[in-house]
Amino acid sequence: MKSTKFTPARKLSKEEIDRKWWEIGDYFRRNSLWMLMYCTGCCAIELPPAMTSAYDMERLGMGPMATPRQADILLISGYLSVKSLRRVIYTYEQMSEPKYVVGLGSCPINGGIYHDSHAVINQLDQYIPVDTYVSGCMPNTESVMNGFVDLMEQIKNKTAKGWIKYKENNEWYKSNQMAALGEVIIHDEFHE
Amino acid sequence: MASIEFLILLLVASSLIAYLLTKVNSFLGSVFTIFASMFVFVSLAAYGFNATLVTDVLYLPGFTFGYTYLGAFFAIIVAFVYAMVSFFHPYFVDHYKYKNAYNMLFLLSLAGVLGAFFTDNFLQLFFFFELIVWSTMFLIPLGKSKSAAVTYFGYSAAGSFAMLFGIFVMRAQVGSFDMALGLSSLTGTNAIIVYVSFLIAAFAKLGVFPLHLWLPIAHGNAPHPFSPVLSGALVKLGAFVAVLALIRITPASGLITAINLPFAHYVVAILGAMSIVFGTLMAIREDDAKKLLAYSSMSHGGYIIVAFSLLDSVAYAGGFYHILAHALASAGAFMAIAAVARQTGTTKMSELGGIIHKMPITYIVYLVAIISMAGIPPMGGFISKWLIFQAVIDKGLIFIAVAVFFGSIGSFLYVFRPLAALFLGQELPQFKKTVKEAPILMLIPMVIITLLNIYTGVLPDKLFGFINKIIGELGFAPIVTSTFELHGYNGILNPALIAGIFGFGVVIAFIIFISLKKSKQVSLMETYTAANFIHTEELLHYSLDFYAPLERLYAKYINVMTDFFAALANKVKELGRLGKYLFMSKYVEVAIFWIVAITAFLLWGEIL
Amino acid sequence: MIVNILIGFGIAILGFVLQTSVAGVNRKIIGRLQKRYGPKWYQEFLDIFKLLSKRSISHGWIFDFGVIMALGGIIATAMFMPITNTFVAFAGYDNFFIFVYLLAVGMLGMAMSASGSGNPLASIGVMRALTTMLAYEVPFMIVVLTVIKLSGTSSMIGIGEFQQALGTNWFLIALPLGGIVAVISLMGMLGKKPFETYIAPAEIASGPMVEYGGKQLGMLFIMHEITVFIEVSLFVHIFLGGASNIFIFLIKYFVVYTVVNLISNVNGRFKIDQVVKFYYKWPLIMAVTQAIIAIYFGWVI
Repeated sequence: MKSTKFTPARKLSKEEIDRKWWEIGDYFRRNSLWMLMYCTGCCAIELPPAMTSAYDMERLGMGPMATPRQADILLISGYLSVKSLRRVIYTYEQMSEPKYVVGLGSCPINGGIYHDSHAVINQLDQYIPVDTYVSGCMPNTESVMNGFVDLMEQIKNKTAKGWIKYKENNEWYKSNQMAALGEVIIHDEFHE
Repeated sequence: MASIEFLILLLVASSLIAYLLTKVNSFLGSVFTIFASMFVFVSLAAYGFNATLVTDVLYLPGFTFGYTYLGAFFAIIVAFVYAMVSFFHPYFVDHYKYKNAYNMLFLLSLAGVLGAFFTDNFLQLFFFFELIVWSTMFLIPLGKSKSAAVTYFGYSAAGSFAMLFGIFVMRAQVGSFDMALGLSSLTGTNAIIVYVSFLIAAFAKLGVFPLHLWLPIAHGNAPHPFSPVLSGALVKLGAFVAVLALIRITPASGLITAINLPFAHYVVAILGAMSIVFGTLMAIREDDAKKLLAYSSMSHGGYIIVAFSLLDSVAYAGGFYHILAHALASAGAFMAIAAVARQTGTTKMSELGGIIHKMPITYIVYLVAIISMAGIPPMGGFISKWLIFQAVIDKGLIFIAVAVFFGSIGSFLYVFRPLAALFLGQELPQFKKTVKEAPILMLIPMVIITLLNIYTGVLPDKLFGFINKIIGELGFAPIVTSTFELHGYNGILNPALIAGIFGFGVVIAFIIFISLKKSKQVSLMETYTAANFIHTEELLHYSLDFYAPLERLYAKYINVMTDFFAALANKVKELGRLGKYLFMSKYVEVAIFWIVAITAFLLWGEIL
Repeated sequence: MIVNILIGFGIAILGFVLQTSVAGVNRKIIGRLQKRYGPKWYQEFLDIFKLLSKRSISHGWIFDFGVIMALGGIIATAMFMPITNTFVAFAGYDNFFIFVYLLAVGMLGMAMSASGSGNPLASIGVMRALTTMLAYEVPFMIVVLTVIKLSGTSSMIGIGEFQQALGTNWFLIALPLGGIVAVISLMGMLGKKPFETYIAPAEIASGPMVEYGGKQLGMLFIMHEITVFIEVSLFVHIFLGGASNIFIFLIKYFVVYTVVNLISNVNGRFKIDQVVKFYYKWPLIMAVTQAIIAIYFGWVI
């Protein structure tokens, strides 16, 4: 026979309360992603059809924003020369948390068609953490939209943890950046 | 029991003592000045509010004093500004060449102010006016330039002599110099002559278009602790004469029936409106913070003239309250700029930046002062502007309303410029190490003025009780007020409620703010630059030509009045040359011409 | 008094919810106009709550204090706004000038905070915003002067009831020139194209908002929504006759905002001196002419 003693509801522990708030936050974050209009290479040509009436990014809740402090997604669209990588790392560190990185095209994955150039980096994942890749050279606009929906799924499943990885493994990322670039922030106005 | 004559004699005596003390030790002399001016202010406020000042004259021969609510109002405000500014003297007097004279002239001009507001005889009013002008004229060149004193004296002299002419015309008709009876019994063309000459005096002292050119020159070049006195206190002499002229005299001119205003008063209101617009436009383009505040004084002088020319008790209440609010706000703003100038050595906004991080209390003083100057609730400037709006709308004056609204919105622009260019923005490296907060003796009067700015905006009831007495004395019906409300013609204002709800809103916003995630603190140089790496602070500070797109629209017309007055001065010089040619020439033919002409004139009646 | 404050706070929250929903529906309408599906109708809520949940940076105490003063001032202004003839928090104190100047407190707070971030683009954006305010306020206030003189009161409810009285038209129809000037000034107030110069994302990187992220940007978005609510409600009460019950108010509000949004969506953006020159030419002439006609000749439709 079931006991008739009154058992109060189990009090939630602190981690569970934090996790519930985080889930609510994730619902808002994945349905309203704002991307930084920072077009590095040739894959940027796929963005205008995605933003406008052809494939309509706005129905997913995504939209372009002007500065890194306001944006959630940093879109690396194409190859990154050494000069650009310094600015991309500076921009990534200026963004507000939580932040996500999407790599468009084959160049962030393994260098693409510029893989044997002396001025282009091959694997973006060594320098800043990437959450989603969209491969192709260049990918179709439907693939780009698919990539965004994948990112939203990753946020829902809590696997989009690039920014936490960056904070925890900061020394590893910094040593990679120093090895490739020498210095990230240029020390005076006369160098590049 | 304090008597006016006792206070004036005390001030004259303490000016001499201050001179001697400053010769010995400038700090002691300045502290003595603080005590003297605070004593005078406290006795004036304590006895003046309750109308218990003694007006008997025992020692000065031929002087008479009389107590009026109007005079007491002005005297208390001016004495308060003098008392607060005297706290700055210990830190500034050492910089000046003739420092012994500084404290002496300061106290002497305060004596003149007391005499001017409490006299009841026009000739004595002229005497005290000239005392004030002469003592301040020697104070101004201790600052940056000597020719500023010449300009100041020229305009003041033009005003004073016009007033003297008006006084004599009045005496010729009425027969006495008495202030209370004389003006109301003027009739005919004499009324118009006295009206015009008193208004010339008022415009010259207040700095209203077209006699405004001395304002930026004098205020911008005066010594730093004297500019608050010039702008907050001494221009109120012009307001006093304007009140006498506009309200007591009834010149015979036609009534414009559409707006129910006599033609003479409408012309004065138009001049006041033009002063508002031109003052605002010239302030927007000014780079020196003190000249900007001087043009702002010109604009507010225009508001005072418009308020007093409307023949309406709500407008008069707005005008009197505006005098009080403007005195406090202008004094506060000038004192904050003086504190910054002492630490950094310059008042030009294009050379300063980021001062708030080292002088936060000065910033708050300046912020409250400009909120009141721009007429934003919950400070005092909003109440006076609201009353003036009520009167202007009720009379249906459209063109004056355009100017009044333009001035009110335009004042946001020019008061914001020192805030963004001087206090906020990037911290320039040359000031990072050397600038500290102002010393405590300078902070005390600034904080007191800030609290008074807030008080006049939230609880104006007692002050309106006193102002209603002044309006009753001038012969108009008092305005309707209650403990928390003000009644205009088409609405009711409750300043305490606005301030209370504003506080409630800020509390709600603060609760939202602190319940969210804490922000990371970063320095000012880590900012969005489209990923450029930046190394110099001066290139990232926006302060020069702040309103450049707006300034370009009227840049061609800024020199019209200076060119006009320069052309007038040239014509006077040519007239002098003509006189010199005719009467003091070295040519023989001119002498022969005069001999023949005088002989013919003498023989006219006898031979011809 | 406590009841009044709670009613006022309720009106502020109602205004926020109303404006955010109407803005979301308008995004969908504009999307359909451009032959695409738009976002969900509650997209703006998601944007604001996402921003409030991010962790961002701050440049000092003035940066945070300005944002708090801005949002506080705007909530205080919204608490005075009447919704219908009877649904108001502080009856008798809803003067027109209180709204115009309390909005200025909010703008001053945001301007202080933006300049305190140290970015020159923010100061340029604030300069443009203040210049735009100088441009649109003067013609608007001349038209409202005419309205106040004709209806004899400057209280929002009073003006609304004057227009609801039998035989008097809405002021949009009774003062036609004034109505056109009011619509143009409303577009300037809301910051819609062609008067969107102060944000100008492509020219000055969103102007005053350049250094904001996270909760400060979320609070500024809330402030913007409540500001739009106050301004459109002002227009509804002064020119469209107020409302005697809440459904009429909602319908009028939605129509005004949608019409203004549709007009602004087909325009480009002015430069800042073009904004000032535009407002001081025809709108000012039309406003003064309307004032002279209505006050001195009495020709009101």
